[in-house]
Formats: sequence, C-alpha cells, structure tokens
Amino acid sequence: MKTSDLSNLLRKLTTPPGLSGYEDTIAREVESLWKPLVDELSRNRLGSVLGFRQGSGEPPRPRLMMVAHQDAIGLMVSGIKEGFLRLTEIGGVDHRILPGQLVQIHGKRTLPAVVVQPPPFLLPPEAQEGSVPLNYLWADTGLEEKEVRRWVQIGAPVSFARNFLELGSDLVCSPSLDNRASLCALTLCLQELQGRKHAWDVWAVSSTQEEETLGGAATSAFQIRPDLAVVIDVTHGSGPGSPSHKSYPLGRGITLGWGATVHPKLYETFKELAEKMEIPYRMEAMPRYSGTDADRLQTVAEGIPTMVISIPLRYMHTPVEIVSKKDVQRTARLLAEFATTLEIDFMDKIQWDETPKA
Amino acid sequence: MKELLKTLVEISAPSGYESQVRNQIQEWIRPLVDEMRVDALGNLLAVHRQADAPRIMLVAHMDEIGLMITHVDRQGFARFVSLGGVMPIHCVGGRVRFLNGVQGVIGVEKNPASYEIPPLEKMFIDVGASSAEDCPIRIGDVAVFERPFLDLGKRVVAKAMDDRVGVAVLIETLRRLEKSAFEIYFVFSVQEEVGVRGATVAAFGVEPHLGLAIDVTATGDTPKGHRMEVQLGKGPAIKIRDAGMLADPRLIQWMVQTAEKAKIPYQREILEFGGTDARAIQLSRSGVPAGVISIPCRYVHAPSEMVDMEDVENAVKLLGRLLQTPSPLELSS
Repeated sequence: MKTSDLSNLLRKLTTPPGLSGYEDTIAREVESLWKPLVDELSRNRLGSVLGFRQGSGEPPRPRLMMVAHQDAIGLMVSGIKEGFLRLTEIGGVDHRILPGQLVQIHGKRTLPAVVVQPPPFLLPPEAQEGSVPLNYLWADTGLEEKEVRRWVQIGAPVSFARNFLELGSDLVCSPSLDNRASLCALTLCLQELQGRKHAWDVWAVSSTQEEETLGGAATSAFQIRPDLAVVIDVTHGSGPGSPSHKSYPLGRGITLGWGATVHPKLYETFKELAEKMEIPYRMEAMPRYSGTDADRLQTVAEGIPTMVISIPLRYMHTPVEIVSKKDVQRTARLLAEFATTLEIDFMDKIQWDETPKA
Repeated sequence: MKELLKTLVEISAPSGYESQVRNQIQEWIRPLVDEMRVDALGNLLAVHRQADAPRIMLVAHMDEIGLMITHVDRQGFARFVSLGGVMPIHCVGGRVRFLNGVQGVIGVEKNPASYEIPPLEKMFIDVGASSAEDCPIRIGDVAVFERPFLDLGKRVVAKAMDDRVGVAVLIETLRRLEKSAFEIYFVFSVQEEVGVRGATVAAFGVEPHLGLAIDVTATGDTPKGHRMEVQLGKGPAIKIRDAGMLADPRLIQWMVQTAEKAKIPYQREILEFGGTDARAIQLSRSGVPAGVISIPCRYVHAPSEMVDMEDVENAVKLLGRLLQTPSPLELSS
C-alpha cells in the first residue's frame, strides 16, 4: 500500500469519535471497510464487529481470533451549571492537557466547545499549583443555559475535536490512534489475506469498551471460542524524557509481549516469524498484566492461548497521539504471515513451556 | 412498603452469610413465582414464566457490608477486617451485632493525632468479655452494624439500605405484577459487596437477553458532598455510567422514554465511583445489554443510609412499566 493511501485509511479510522460504549460511528466505518474483505460480517450484542474468513483446511477447522479495540477515550457531561458543562472521563484521560482543548459535545445536537479552567484564585489552595484536576474543569459551548439544556443531556459523550496531522514522512498525529492504529493494521492484514490461503478460520474482531471494562474482546471470544487469539494494541512510544526501559522508539519496529498474559509458544512463533521477515521487534515485558484486552480474554471459557502485539505510540491518552505508519504496516504484514502459515495441527504442537529455546 | 423495608434491613446478612435474608425472601415470594431455586453460591433465583418472551434478569443483592474477626487477644478484645467497603470514619463508637446475636462496640487504640481517622487495624471490638476464654466470639465470626430503623416520615434511615431497598423494590414489583412482556428472572444475589460474585454466576446460569440491576446510588445534595447531580426525592435514577460499567445506551433510552410516557420522575445518573451487579451481567458469556435503576441514597456504606420512600415507590412503578414495555432490542434467542 502506498503511504498516502495508508494515511487516508488512518484518517478514515480516526474520524469517527466512537467513545467507549458509544461506538456506532466507528463500528459502521469498520463494517464498510471490512465488508469486501471477509466472508461474513456481524455486530454482536455489546457492539463488537466480527469479520469471518473461512479457512481452506478440512473441517473442523481451528479458529484464529485477531482483535483490536475500536473504542476511544474521551469525556462525558456529568452536570450542567449556569450553562457550563461539568465533565467526567470515559476511559482514562491525561487531565494535564485538557484546559484549552477543542471538543465536541455529542448531545441531541453536536456542539463545539472548549475545555476551560477557572482562574487560580477561584480554586481551593490544593488545586492552585500544578495541573487542575478534572473536577474543576468545565466545557464552554458559548450558549445560554436554556439552549444548553435543550441540546445537551447529562451523559452526553464529549470527544476531542478531530485534527489529523501528518508529521514528516512517516508519522501521523490524531486523537484515538489508540487504538485505531491497530485497527488499521488489522484492516491491512485482511487486505493482505485477499488471494492468500489460510488453513485456519480467521476471525477479525473490532472490539468494544476496552478502555472501560476490557469487555468487548472477552465477550466476543466467548462467542467465537477461538483456539488462539492475538491482541493488537498500542504501547508507550519513546518521547522527551521517557525512560528507555518503559518506552519504545517510533518507526523502529513493534513490540512482542512477554509475560503471564502471553502464551510462551506464541511469543516464540511470532519472534521467529518476525526474524524471518526482517521485521524489527522488541520484547515487551508484561509481568502481571498487559493492560490490553488480552488480560480478560485469556481466561475466557476454558482459557485461550493469547499473544499481544503492540505498536509504539507517543503521548498516550491525549488528543495528540503519534504513531509511525511503518510500524502499522509491519504489524499488518506480521499478522497476515502468521495467519497464512498457521498449520492445521499447530494446537497439537504447543503447550505452555516458558523455557527459552536454545 | 415501609414495613417490608424495615423487616429486610433489620436482618443481618453480610457478604457470604446471606441465608437469613434469603429465607425471609423465599417465604414471601414462594406463592408469587412459577419456580424458585438456590444456586451453588447461594443466589436465590425466582422465575416468572412467559412463553416465547425474551428473558430479562432483574437483580438486587441480598448482602450488606460487615466485619470479620481475625484475632481475639487474652483480654478478650477482637480485631477485625472489613467485609466489603466499610469505611473507618464510620466505625469508632459504632455498635455491631454478630450472626449469633452477640453485640459489641468498636473501640480504638490511643490516637496521638486525634483529628486523623485511624485505620481499621487500630480498632477492636469489645463485647464485654474479660478474657479470651469468656469471649463469645471466635476468629472468622462475622458481624454487621447495629442501628435501629429510623422512620423520618417521607424519608427512612437504616443500615443495609444498600441493597435491601433494591430487594424491596423487586419483591413489591413481583407482588404487583400482572402481565409481562418478558420471562422474568428475579435474582437475589450474594457477595455483591466483595466483587459482584453472585451476579457473575447467576448471569452465566440464567443467560438473559437483557438485565437490570436495582441498587442504590450516591447523591450530591448534602453540604459539600459528592459533586453529583442526583438528589434524594427527585425520582429513581437511570444509570448512565459508574466506575464499573457504561450502561447500554439502548436500555437507557428505553427507560427514559418509558418513564416520560408514564410521567414517572427520573434522574440521569453519573456515579464516578462504585459499581453494581449490572457489570457482571454485561460481561457475562458473549455479552448482555445491561442497565441499572438506582435508588438515590445518602451516606452509602455508612451505618445510617437514607432513602426517600417516594423514590422507592417510583422505582417500583418504573420497573412495573418497563416489564410491560417490549425493549428496543432485537432479542431473538
């Protein structure tokens, strides 16, 4: 795919707000992108989108589930006072960057607004220094109280104003690249699978509410009962002052998760595949939790061997998240290669053995 | 309904020890349901059959927060831990009652900084014993707060209003139930206060098409209290979100429209902490649309929780209406 096409796809996927629980807009975009790429497409009860591609192996075929969450973080109207809107969060938002942000209030009408903070002398002493906590911030629509109450109800989702930027030749910047960048990689993977054979049945899942409950991937997995699952999400990219043992440079490859959440044999398989394909990667240690859909997905039903692949992203949970297009493409290639090289008896050959191969 | 509520809140039933309240509920509702059973964890499941109708699970939790004894010293003082979200600020000077009827008071070690709230570790229960030998309680015994039911007219106060008021709403709904658009599973759940465990297995077992929890929510109408829009006496609250879940927007709309059509007052609720059994329903199996009708309640998890009887009555009305109103979801099984 040309890099300009990739930018367009990323722009398309970051345009719908699709905050957790309010995901119809992004689900529809995914449905329209995946429709030509899968044999069957459905949306389940909680709102995850499931794309199914039939494998070429003899039935009963094992099932591979590849999942990236579609929901985005944002804010929600929690109160109205004198026409100004109190805010709470959907998912975790980095409060420090909120004052001055342009947002959209998704009430009965979509209204533009700005997030503002009171001047310091109006704040209690403990909130006068440093960043102002969310419970002192307001959204200002510029409308009179009566108008505000007409269009905005308590519980209205509030998204960051869309502002897709290309930075240099490889980086893009936008709200909700967590996790639309991974959704983009999964879409590219489905494109790559066109005309390629895979023995396994492949389920692509665009999961709901990861930022709130990790609920979409787990409930989808209960429905699909995959033999294995691959979770694609973002991880902390290196930025100014970020510690090198907790962040990964952008454009220099992806991370492969390692820890209690990740099946060691899957890690090994992906590692070997990445080396064979000359895709740069780093091991990302996830000793207890991965912080992704995998944490809940792994223990669904009888248990699901799970892998976590991450795309480095700078300024997570802010409206200016940045990723590298190269890393997105690498993720897609690796996923497609994994799906097409999975042998029909792969499950018979793996068991949980964490001893590193010599 | 006040009498019903009074009887319910005066029963001692901390998480994991719900049998007394369960026995009482069973006795009341036996003639009203088609089927009733107690599952492996102690949830009470009562079915109101309706052929070819979607299955709805309604849940209120039976358990209340409490205390568990971890150590009895030579002088007969008992150390304890909390069972559920007991807050130290409500403990010192409080009275407790053990399941075997023994009563005691909560004392605290000498506290050098008297303005600080001591942690539970610095507290103990004194049952009037003078040695370990004559202390009538043992490690593992559980207790609940002891507070008489207080009738303030329109408003009432008691311990365990969370969530016996939800239990009362379900029982009253069942008593008034005529026809229904649903096959209804009335679930009286256990162990909500220690991580929605009862509802988790009940939802798995019932496999509902949709679910509603009936539970309390906090209010923002007390001096310098929570920053929150919900007020006592302004109607039952329809949950938009809490810390455990985002309620299903389709169910929110269904509840809002039903309330408006029936002219039942309601409030839109955003609770920035806490959670309910509805989370367990939502995440059950391959996912279940779930929502919550909340009873506004001041001083949640204090030994004196206050609700407004009009809100309780309106919650019963709203739930009754909802059960006659087909939900907006496509619910083929």
